[in-house]
Amino acid sequence: MLSILLVVPLIGAALVAWWPGKTRSIASTVALAVIGWTVLLLTKFNLGEPGMQFVEDFTWIDSLGLSYKLGIDGLSLPLVALNSLLTWVAIYSSDEKVDRPRLYYSLILLLNAAVTGVFLAQDLLLFFISYELELVPLYLLIAIWGGQKRAYAATKFLIYTALSGALILAAFLGLAWLGGSNSFTYNPALAHALPLNQQFLLLGALLLGFGIKMPLFPFHTWLPDAHVEASTPISVLLAGVLLKLATYGILRFCVGLFPDAWQVAAPWLAGWAIISVLYGALMAIAQKDMKKMVAYSSVSHMGYILLAAAANTPLSFSAAMIQMVSHGLISAALFLSVGVVYQKAGTRDITILEGLLNPERGMPVIGSLMILGVMASAGIPGMVGFVAEFLIFRSTFPIFPIPTLLCMIGTGLTAVYYLLLINKAFFGRLSPQVQDLEAVTWRERYPAMILTGAIILFGFVPGWITRWSEPTILAMLQPPAIVATVATIPTLDLQP
Amino acid sequence: MTFTTSRHPLAAYIDRFYNGQSFLPDNPDNVKEVVGILESYGYVLEAYQENLQHIADREFLTIFPFFKYFNHGVSSNQLLKHLAHDRINFEYAEYCMKVMLWHGGGKLEEYVESPDFRQLIELAIQAKIKGNPIIQLLHRLFPEFLPEQVRQSVYYNALGQFWEVMYALFLNLGKAYDQGKITTIPEVVGFIKAGLVAAAGNQIVYAVQIGGKSYDILPQSANLTFLMDVAVPYVEAVFFRGTPFLGTVSYNAQAGEIPFEQSAFTYGALYADPLPIGGSGIPPTLLMQDMRHYLPEYLHKMYQSSKRQENDLLVKICQSFQKSMYCVTSAAILGLAPHDLKTNDPQEQASNLAYFENWMDRFLTSQLRNIQG
Repeated sequence: MLSILLVVPLIGAALVAWWPGKTRSIASTVALAVIGWTVLLLTKFNLGEPGMQFVEDFTWIDSLGLSYKLGIDGLSLPLVALNSLLTWVAIYSSDEKVDRPRLYYSLILLLNAAVTGVFLAQDLLLFFISYELELVPLYLLIAIWGGQKRAYAATKFLIYTALSGALILAAFLGLAWLGGSNSFTYNPALAHALPLNQQFLLLGALLLGFGIKMPLFPFHTWLPDAHVEASTPISVLLAGVLLKLATYGILRFCVGLFPDAWQVAAPWLAGWAIISVLYGALMAIAQKDMKKMVAYSSVSHMGYILLAAAANTPLSFSAAMIQMVSHGLISAALFLSVGVVYQKAGTRDITILEGLLNPERGMPVIGSLMILGVMASAGIPGMVGFVAEFLIFRSTFPIFPIPTLLCMIGTGLTAVYYLLLINKAFFGRLSPQVQDLEAVTWRERYPAMILTGAIILFGFVPGWITRWSEPTILAMLQPPAIVATVATIPTLDLQP
Repeated sequence: MTFTTSRHPLAAYIDRFYNGQSFLPDNPDNVKEVVGILESYGYVLEAYQENLQHIADREFLTIFPFFKYFNHGVSSNQLLKHLAHDRINFEYAEYCMKVMLWHGGGKLEEYVESPDFRQLIELAIQAKIKGNPIIQLLHRLFPEFLPEQVRQSVYYNALGQFWEVMYALFLNLGKAYDQGKITTIPEVVGFIKAGLVAAAGNQIVYAVQIGGKSYDILPQSANLTFLMDVAVPYVEAVFFRGTPFLGTVSYNAQAGEIPFEQSAFTYGALYADPLPIGGSGIPPTLLMQDMRHYLPEYLHKMYQSSKRQENDLLVKICQSFQKSMYCVTSAAILGLAPHDLKTNDPQEQASNLAYFENWMDRFLTSQLRNIQG
């Protein structure tokens, strides 16, 4: 059942590459088929089962210890669904006259398969292969269809993320070697048996690897460049899904494999989260390019996930999960809106843009969607961003009160930089440079509208996200003592 | 080319007048835009003036004129159309009337404040309220209330008379353009100026019928004329001071955007920003909504050839309308010039120059530079 999620986009990519004509329609149909299959998976998923479901396990290359083992649980299911949705959004929002459409759409589908592979892989080596495989299409998508400095941005992205992959591979190899295992099957018991200093070593490599990908300060510099140069649909995928590979990796491997070392490192990680949150937010305030501002906002918001992961409680893990989905939807919606602004106005510079909410000559619907997006990002109640941030702070405060308070300043700063953006670019009189804009079509509005709808929907019924992951998280954070401690902390009833 | 000795910041525009040009640059697009928009304005003015005169005549001293916009009787069908906003925005005409009433000017204002007027209208008031003890009591308790209502009716009527001339003028301008008789902006200005001059001496009179008897409100003896007593106050009120483009701009008093001296405040057609400011909720201008129904085909084509086509139709109409109002203002300035512009008399030349510089002072903060592109 899970292999379908990999096979369909792969076959789709091949079809798109070789089938003459109707490239976009085929890609779109394949993406919709993937969404359909994901929905089917959601209906079949057993909510009460904390472990892996729909497991598929075949030995692939015995001599390497590589097996084709797939599985899905509450940690990966929401992210698989997010990936399916955003892939379709990316295809739908792509320029109809994009150059080399066959290559373009097949790379997007290939990217979808690789990312799904990362979320489904239950073999460490298979995870690594998928993790590395995703680099190729994304590199090409930035390098070929990017902006003026696309070669620089794509190369920087490749170097950073290849280094991230190398560190992760080193950690996995080290784990198998130190644990004396011949296979790379995901096995928390293997790591638990290691001495604490060895656990630290391996955890350090994983943290660095995933820290680069998330990205966390000071390894973040590839992200703003990649976003600025990538086209809008690729930015949607990059922010919406690709960054989640790292946060997923942290929850699954760093916490899942090395809980003891994680417990010791947690206060330091909370400190790292503070730096990343505040640095990202302050950098966002200093930006003039709307896209760069959203990119730095991602750096800041990823820090919240690290803080939640460091707190290491069921509630904080649920909060981290909801923040992943929340950030995926919000950042995608923001990048889509920024993309429309750039396409119509020819600039993203907020010192040039002004008055874009103008009902007659501006882009009032896109402006309104942008405002809703920034409100969600800043944690305004009624939207999924509020639920995510509130849950993070609620769950981390009893564990790390000072870091939580400092991270809350980041939320305030989010409101500052986004209000600066909205105030400068959307309010006031249309600046002379942008008075002759082409009208925005409904087709260009739909993707951001759909995502904004989801942002509001999940803001009111956040349980529709957390219900999938709660049993998995509770089981993951065994021993029972931890669960019992956390059970005394009042929790929100997240069920709709 | 003639160049004046003026050092005024807008001296270039004074030179234009001396060279037979006007505020608006002469090119085929501007001619098409101005004539097309004035033609549609003509149709709208025809409806406005008819309604204004209907209110002045038929709703005279009606305390609650619920059906004042229904010139041709009230029916359920018309009522539904009205509520669904499938109609002409007669409110705009009333705004212009009220702006004139508030700003006053000319002999008309002097007359409606005179004892002669009070004496005359008292007869009409008494005839109207005869047999209505409640209104009689009201008149006794508040003796200024009904006369003020009559003053308002005077302005309804006067503006109606002014637009009765103007709508015909603008429709004729459209016809002349269609026949190829008008090809340049100076010809447009000349056509309007000729129309204004021809009607300049028209008497402005107003009488109402009450109980089968006619009551003078503005008698011939008041000697009120079209140009100086209605047209000039109208231009002053609506072009320079009034609120013609409702909702297109908002002023922030705390940011010092409103002059300390009320008399220096300008919000008229020549100053208004055609671009609506801010977000949703700003109503598009009523006049622009009305004019869009009567745009000639060539103007539609011209708008559709732009990048945004007719998505911003109201703004485009507003911009074209502003250009046309500068043509009307050019005609008015030329028509009111104290001396022939080709005079050789140094004193007359100096007088003319002072006259133009005085006008140009008022355009310093206007949209004059923005309509040149």
